[in-house]
Amino acid sequence: MNLLFGQILNGIATGMLYALMGLGLALITGILNIPNFAHGALFAVGAYLLVTVVGAIGNFWLGLLVAPLGVALLGIAIEYAGIRRLYAAGHDYQLLFTFGLALILNELIIVIWGPVGISHLPPAVLRGGVDLGFTFYPKYRLFVMAVAGLLVVLTWLFLERTRYGAIMRAGIENKEMVSLLGIDIHRLFTVAFALGAYLAGIAGALTAPIRGLSPGMGVDMLGIAFVVVALGGLGNLLGAIAAGLLIGVAQAVVAAYWTEASTAVIFAVMAAVLLVRPQGLFGIR
Amino acid sequence: MKQPLVLVLAAVVLLPLVVRHAIATEIWIFAIFGLGLNLLLGYTGLLSFGQATFFGSAAYVAGYLLKYYGIGIFTALGVGIGVGALSALVVGYLCVQRAGLYFIMLTFALNQLFYFIAYQWTSVTGGEDGMPGIPRPALLGIDFRQPLAYYVLVSALFLLSLWAMQRIVESPLGKILQAIRENEVRAEALGYNVPRFKLLAFVIGGAFSGFAGVLYAMLFGIVPLEAIGFVFSGNVVFATLIGGSGSLYGPIIGSLVFIWLSESVSVLWARWPLLLGVAFVIVVLFFRGGVVEAWSRIWRFSKRAS
Amino acid sequence: MERRQVLKIGAAAATLGFPAIVRSQPSEIVVLGLWDQTGAFADVGPLNDRGMRMALEERGMKVLGKPIKYITRDGATQAGTSTRRAEEAIDGEGARFMIGPWSSGVALAVSEVAKRKKVLHYFSGGTEDISGARCHRYSFQWAASPYTAAKTVVDNFMKANPKAKRWHLLVADYAFGWSVEKYVKEVGKHHGLEFVGADRHPLGEREFSNYVQKAAANRPDVVAMINFGGDAVGGAREIFNFGLTPKIPLIMTWSSGVEELIQLAPEIRENLWVGTNFYYTVDTPVAKEFVKNYRAKFGTPPGYAPSAAYSMTRLMLAGFDKAKSAEVQDVIKALEGIEVNDLLGRMRVEPATHQTLRPYFFLRCKPKKAMKEELDFADVIATGDAPLPKEYAACKDIGGF
Repeated sequence: MNLLFGQILNGIATGMLYALMGLGLALITGILNIPNFAHGALFAVGAYLLVTVVGAIGNFWLGLLVAPLGVALLGIAIEYAGIRRLYAAGHDYQLLFTFGLALILNELIIVIWGPVGISHLPPAVLRGGVDLGFTFYPKYRLFVMAVAGLLVVLTWLFLERTRYGAIMRAGIENKEMVSLLGIDIHRLFTVAFALGAYLAGIAGALTAPIRGLSPGMGVDMLGIAFVVVALGGLGNLLGAIAAGLLIGVAQAVVAAYWTEASTAVIFAVMAAVLLVRPQGLFGIR
Repeated sequence: MKQPLVLVLAAVVLLPLVVRHAIATEIWIFAIFGLGLNLLLGYTGLLSFGQATFFGSAAYVAGYLLKYYGIGIFTALGVGIGVGALSALVVGYLCVQRAGLYFIMLTFALNQLFYFIAYQWTSVTGGEDGMPGIPRPALLGIDFRQPLAYYVLVSALFLLSLWAMQRIVESPLGKILQAIRENEVRAEALGYNVPRFKLLAFVIGGAFSGFAGVLYAMLFGIVPLEAIGFVFSGNVVFATLIGGSGSLYGPIIGSLVFIWLSESVSVLWARWPLLLGVAFVIVVLFFRGGVVEAWSRIWRFSKRAS
Repeated sequence: MERRQVLKIGAAAATLGFPAIVRSQPSEIVVLGLWDQTGAFADVGPLNDRGMRMALEERGMKVLGKPIKYITRDGATQAGTSTRRAEEAIDGEGARFMIGPWSSGVALAVSEVAKRKKVLHYFSGGTEDISGARCHRYSFQWAASPYTAAKTVVDNFMKANPKAKRWHLLVADYAFGWSVEKYVKEVGKHHGLEFVGADRHPLGEREFSNYVQKAAANRPDVVAMINFGGDAVGGAREIFNFGLTPKIPLIMTWSSGVEELIQLAPEIRENLWVGTNFYYTVDTPVAKEFVKNYRAKFGTPPGYAPSAAYSMTRLMLAGFDKAKSAEVQDVIKALEGIEVNDLLGRMRVEPATHQTLRPYFFLRCKPKKAMKEELDFADVIATGDAPLPKEYAACKDIGGF
């Protein structure tokens, strides 16, 4: 029984990260309507930037603040220089572009940081674990869970309670209407992409001490992000959060009984849900 | 219309004189794979990002039968077509309900599902290690283990596939698919059952992919795990886009360019995917329509100049 | 460097250019290093290359008076890509001698190419099949037999920890993991061990928390990992984070030694026991010289990856010397039964199975205060070289040419 609770806790922790990734991708796919195959690479860049910044200034907290901003800046640059020209281009070219970008980023990581995996320890205050009764759990993971949860809530509040957030949500629903209402649609797209990139970047930065860094670390996350968005319902932000948690917990719980199938389960759950509800958990139609 | 066909025939004849037989064979196999994809991408407007599902599934099933049951080449190819079509039917059924981004992501995610099943089912597929030991059975006394003999077989089958695909796209079915690509709502209004036609395109594309998959397995004597992975799915999409998805011959050019690039550049520089990524970005920003489009632009320009 | 670039460009043109008949120079001996630059073992390939190159350069890139042409190909840690590129190197460049790849699963596929193309193939890895069920006249295995490794690790660990009977295994899910797991369990039987759990994870796994929680729930006396490189580092880290170590010991059954240990913080290395094919403190004249030169060139001591490549190349060259011929079949015949005093001391190639008989090393990691210098991670506390007993030998007939 303890194992089950331990796995559920773990599932919530990984699920929070999945939710962050899914939320970022849902924003980008919802507002810009492009398949962002570079989302995993942005995750990886976030992790590598964190390690570099911490290496340079020696402070983890500052690094955690700065690294995702770096990824957001990168996102702005990408949107401005490339994606902006592709809104009318059709999904195939958007896909080719973002995939090309992913390759470039991946290879640049290897060129700059080398192909060898890098280990990065959490800050001293977060090392070690806590005895929760049913399991002994690392402090850093609890921290990640809390931060990811906070970010999800903040993003949610931003989207639901602020004026600009409402504009973004309207942009998901109906882009033409939003631009007809006099809102700068281009700025909206840039902000959306930057926000999505930020979320991917901070997910990467948070993950660095847990999983270590390797150039291919974004590839798995890309697949998971797509599953989360497909499962949650395209452009549905609450759906992305719920789907992320669901998948994290499903993966962890299955791992307790049938370890080898735990990754396949993610895709099986997605296929099963979509069979019954083609629009995803929370999608409309 | 005749001219491109002549060029293709010339390429088939001349290619083995210029590159190694195995690479030349691989190029035509990849071209068949691309033809199948382009029925969906170029003609029906469906960006299927999971074609490796059908390619790989067919390769595994036919490979297994070739290895353990000693079936003949044409039986294996028949199995490949069947498995490719059947897996496409299943995946297509789940996917045609959705459109746009959703469709793309679904094909991708289902591809991953098949990948992980293949990964875990190690007793059958060998998992990470792949399924080695796939034979190349002889037929009518011809020993296809000779690289040139196999090349002749594959290029003949490629020409057959090209002919078949040409018939399909020029048939009423082909016209309907293009109509769906142009304006789905109008096609629906004209009375066509759009999802059913999309599914049919899927199945045909899957059949071509499965056919290519079996040839691939026999070429390398192994069904590697990556044959069912999303990178493979991506490669055929990119190759087709680079060649030009608006033409029947786009996938062929794309296959030539892509395989040649990836085999020759990788020897020079380990970081060659960087160049590939840059190539993609350049194609998207400046050469949409791919090589075919660029070529016809040059052609038109030179005609105007003269 | 310039000349190398020119050669590389020529190679690329040749790759796609002209058939081998036109290009190969009969006096050159072309040797292929199938080392991964991309994929799961992207970090190992460059290390392998270093070792192989050092061994060839020691001989001035010559053997039997003939120049050696050393070419490398990136197998991408994938069976399909590796077999394709190996064939291309064999057909297009005239490579007759192949060393690598690094992944056991891929090696099984490459071994088939060696058999089909009749080229010499030397490989180091944890699958027992190369010198076992899939043995054939052209492939050789450098790494210790998984039986030898398991016996060395389990016997010596139990000597130091006789009460640790409940074992939990964490295994990489492919050929290498399966082979070593099998023998750890076999040898464990003789010690009355109880295997309370054995979980398999995919190669390249980074999210170990689920596996570790499961391990913890089984309340083992010891956790033994059968994985490698990044997987081993990730697993060790999580096992530490979840508080299993240092309370209970952790065994890295088949480690690369320095390359993995250097990535682990001293706290994680406490109560860590390591089995490896090579450790840089090994006391043989050849090893000492190699470690010295490697350290001078690259800054860190060599681990299993470059040393294996180094030693395999030296063994192959010893085969040339003994055969006094550069023909593949002569070199193979010379290698069968060859005895050398090389990197690991006394090394012998068994003719019936092509398995290299050599010692396997067992280390205990030191706590931070006992470390004499930054890289003094562990001491070799035991070696073992028990060969695979006849009843397990799956290579019944290595066959002819």
